[in-house]
Amino acid sequence: MTTQTSSRAPGEAKRGFGGLPHWVATLAPVWTLLALFIFFGVASQSFLRPQNINNILVQVSTLAIFGTGMTFVLLTGEIDLGISSTAAISGMVAAQLFANNNAQEPVPLIAGLLVGTLLGLLAGITSTRFRIPTFMSTLAVSFIGAGLTTYVSKGRTITTLPEYARFLGSGRIFTDETGRGGFPFIVIVAAIVMLIAYLVLRYTRFGRYVYMTGASKSAARLAGVNTNMILIAVLTISGFTAGLAGVVGMGRLGSAQPDPVPSYLLDTISAVVLGGTALTGGRGGILQTVIGLLIYGTLRNGLDNIPEIDIYLKEFITGVVLIVALIVNVVFAGRSARDKTAV
Amino acid sequence: MSAVLELRKVSIRFENIQALDSVDFDLLEGETHAIVGENGAGKSTMMRILAGVYTGYEGEYFLDGQPVHLQSPRDALSLGIGMIHQELSVIPELSVAENLFLGRQPLTPYGMIDWRLMNRTAQEELSKLGFADIDVKRPLGTYALGTQQVVEVLRVILSGAKVLIMDEPTSALSPPEVERLIQLIDTLRKAKRSIIYISHFLEEVMRVADRVTVLRDGHKVATVNQTDTSVNELISLILGREINAELPAATTQKDAHVLLEVRDLTADVFRNVNLNVYQGEVVGLYGAIGSGHFDLARAVFGMYRFDSGAVVVDGQTYPRDFSARYAIQHGLAYASESRRMSLFMEEPIFRNVMVPHLERLGRWLSPTRSTELDLSTPQIKLTGVHPDDPVNPVGQLSGGNQQKVAIARWLPFPPKVFIMAEPTRGMDVGAKSEVLTILRNFRNEGYGVLVVSSEPETVLSVADRIMVMSRGQVVADMENVNLNKDVLMRLL
Ligand SMILES: Nc1ncnc2c1ncn2[C@@H]1O[C@H](COP(=O)(O)OP(=O)(O)OP(=O)(O)O)[C@@H](O)[C@H]1O
Ligand SMILES: [Mg+2]
Repeated sequence: MTTQTSSRAPGEAKRGFGGLPHWVATLAPVWTLLALFIFFGVASQSFLRPQNINNILVQVSTLAIFGTGMTFVLLTGEIDLGISSTAAISGMVAAQLFANNNAQEPVPLIAGLLVGTLLGLLAGITSTRFRIPTFMSTLAVSFIGAGLTTYVSKGRTITTLPEYARFLGSGRIFTDETGRGGFPFIVIVAAIVMLIAYLVLRYTRFGRYVYMTGASKSAARLAGVNTNMILIAVLTISGFTAGLAGVVGMGRLGSAQPDPVPSYLLDTISAVVLGGTALTGGRGGILQTVIGLLIYGTLRNGLDNIPEIDIYLKEFITGVVLIVALIVNVVFAGRSARDKTAV
Repeated sequence: MSAVLELRKVSIRFENIQALDSVDFDLLEGETHAIVGENGAGKSTMMRILAGVYTGYEGEYFLDGQPVHLQSPRDALSLGIGMIHQELSVIPELSVAENLFLGRQPLTPYGMIDWRLMNRTAQEELSKLGFADIDVKRPLGTYALGTQQVVEVLRVILSGAKVLIMDEPTSALSPPEVERLIQLIDTLRKAKRSIIYISHFLEEVMRVADRVTVLRDGHKVATVNQTDTSVNELISLILGREINAELPAATTQKDAHVLLEVRDLTADVFRNVNLNVYQGEVVGLYGAIGSGHFDLARAVFGMYRFDSGAVVVDGQTYPRDFSARYAIQHGLAYASESRRMSLFMEEPIFRNVMVPHLERLGRWLSPTRSTELDLSTPQIKLTGVHPDDPVNPVGQLSGGNQQKVAIARWLPFPPKVFIMAEPTRGMDVGAKSEVLTILRNFRNEGYGVLVVSSEPETVLSVADRIMVMSRGQVVADMENVNLNKDVLMRLL
C-alpha cells in the first residue's frame, strides 16, 4: 500500500526515526491499528466475531462521511468546526419536510444535502471574502446550524423519518429470504463517498491544488492557483458531507434530534488526525483517514468488548491511547527532526 | 594568535550527497574569516555544524583547544557561538531595546521589567558600536532591513557570543545597508570578536575579511590571506577554472515590437509608472528596497492590487483585477524575490516546476508522474540545478539551487515576458553568470525580460536598458552604456 500523499518517489531510500526505513515510519498508523486489533483480539472473546467487525464498520461509517470532508479541509491547513451542527440541521430539515410538510422523496434528502452544502459555502465565502480565519467562520456556522435546528424542530424529536434516510442509514442489502443478515448499506455509502474523494484528491488537478494550497498558500498563489476558490470548495465539500452524514446518521439512529451531537466534531478530527493527516495542511489523504477511522473505531468498540473495564474509565483510557498513538505517529514520521533551523 | 575554534577532518553526508569531506578549518581570535564557494559547496552545512544544528558528523571540533561535541544551538550559544540566520528572527512589533534583550530583560527588585535600565543599556551598547542614531524605544519594524540586521547581530553579541557566524547577511540588503553592516563588523573586529562571514559578493569579502577559505564540492580548496589574494584569484579557486567576467554582448537588435506595456500604473506604493519591454530586450528595473519596484512587479503579474492604469502584453490589454492565473495563461511569468514564498519546500523539484502548468495538461485531471518528469527534467538540467535528481525535495537544495528551480519552473511552457525579481540573489559567481546567460538567451530568442533588483551589479550586468525607481516613481530610463554603480545609486 502506498500513501497517496507522499509525493516522494517510492524507491527513494529515506530514513525516518532511528534509522528505520521510510516506509516503516510512514506506515506508523497501520502498525498502531494492527497492534490494537491484536490486543483486543486476544483480550476479548467477542471482539473478532464477524458480527462485531460488522459493528465497527457501521459505527465508523457516519464518522467516515464527516471525515472525508474534514480531510479536504485539513489538507488545505484550515479547519471546519461546524460539521456537527450542519449535520443536525440537514437531518432536521429532511425529517421536518417529510413528517410535517408531506414532501415526496427524494425532496427531503436533497433539501438536507442542500442545506449542508450552503452552510459550507457560507463559511467559505465569509472566510475568503473578509479574510476571517476558518476557525471563526465555521464556529459561527456551527452556532447558526445549532440555532436553526432548535428553531425548526421547536425542541421536538422527530421519529417519522424519510424512507431514503432510513434506508441509507439502517438498510441492508444481500439479506436472505427472511430479511435477516446481509450487509449494512451505510458502510457502502461511506465507502462510495471515500472512494470518490480518493480519486478526486489523487487524480484531479483540483486535488493537487488542495495539497499545494495546504503546503504553502503563498507559493500556490504565485503559481497561479486561486487559493480562495480552493478554500471555498473544500468548505463546501465539508458542508455537503456533513449534510449527508446528518441525514444518514439520523437514519441509523432512527430519529432526528433537536440538538447537534457535539462529539461528532471531535471524533471526526481525532480520527482524521490519527490517520496522519496534518493539521498544518499539505500532508495526509483519504487512505490515512481510513486507517485513522479504523483505529478510532477499533479502540472505542474494543473497550466496549472487554467487560472487565470499568465503564467510567473508558473515556480516560480512550484519551490515553489517543495520545500514545499520536506520539507514535509524530515520532515515527519525524522528518529531519534534527535540523532545527529552517533552511 | 590562538585559534578560538577549529575543525579537523570534519565530514558529513546527507543520503547520497557528501556535503563536507574531511574539511579542516580554524578561526583565530579577533579575525574575520570569510567562507566562499559555489552554491551547494557546503558553506551553510559547515556553519550548522559549528552552531550545533547538525550533530551527526565525523571528525573533531575544538573550542579554545578543548574537544567538544555540541548537541544543540543552545549548547553552542552557551559556549559563546552565535549564528545569525539569513532570515531575520527579530520581532518587528517590539521595540529595538526589547529585541536586544529578548528573553533576558533586566528586572526590578519586584520582578517587573526594568524598562529604564533596559532602554539605557540598549542605548549605551548601540552608541558604543556607533549606532547612536537608533532610537531604542521605536518598534524595530519601523526601521529598514539593514538596521534590523544590525540589531540582530547586536542581540547575539549581547547574549554572550564571542564567535559570530553570519550566513549571507547582506544578500537581502541594499548598498547603504551593506555599508552599515560592514562598519559594524569593523568595530567588532577592533573589539576582538571573531567572525565567520559567508557571502557571494567577493568585493565585499575582500573588504571585510582577514582570511578567506574556499570550499568546493564539500572540500576545502584553500585558505588565503586577504592581502595575498584578489577577486580574480578567488573566482578561479571557487570554480576551479577561469570565467569570462564579461558577459556576452547583446546579439539581437531591439526591434519596435512591444511585448509588455505598463501604462500609468498607480497603487499605494507606486504612482503613474510607465514601462515598456520590447521584444528581444532585457530591461532592468532598479530601486532601493522600499522603492515599490517589487510591488510593481507583483502588480503586473496580478498579485498586487492597483488602483488605475493598465497592463498590456503583446498588444492585449489585461482586464481589471486580473489574477495571476490569467497572467500565466496570457504570456507572463514571474519569479518572486522570496524563494521561501514561491517554492514548495517539501515537494520534489519536478512538482515545483510543473505547478503553474497543470491547467495546460488537462482540463480536470492532473498529469501523470511520468508526463511531469518528462516535461520538467530537461528544464531542471538546462538551468543547472545541482544535484539534478528531479524527485529531491526543493528544501534540501542549497539556496542558489532553489533559485534555479524558481527559474526552471517557467521553461516547460515559455511565456512571452519573464519578470524576475532578484534572479541571482544568493548565487555564486559561476551560477550568477549562468543565470544571466539564460536570461540573455531568452532575450535572444525573442522573449522580453524584466529584471527587478536592488543590486546594482545585477541590472548593470544583464540589462540592455535600465530604469530606476525611487519612492514609487520611475526617475530614470536609460540605455545601459557607460553606466556604473555610482550613477545608479545617485539616482535613488
Ligand atoms: N538537510 C539536507 N538534506 C539533504 N541534503 C542537504 C541538506 N542540507 C544540505 N544538503 C546538500 O548539501 C550540499 C551543501 O549544501 P549547503 O546548504 O551547505 O550549500 P551552500 O554552500 O550553503 O550553498 P548556497 O551558497 O547555495 O547557500 C548541497 O548539495 C545540498 O543539496
Ligand atoms: Mg547556504
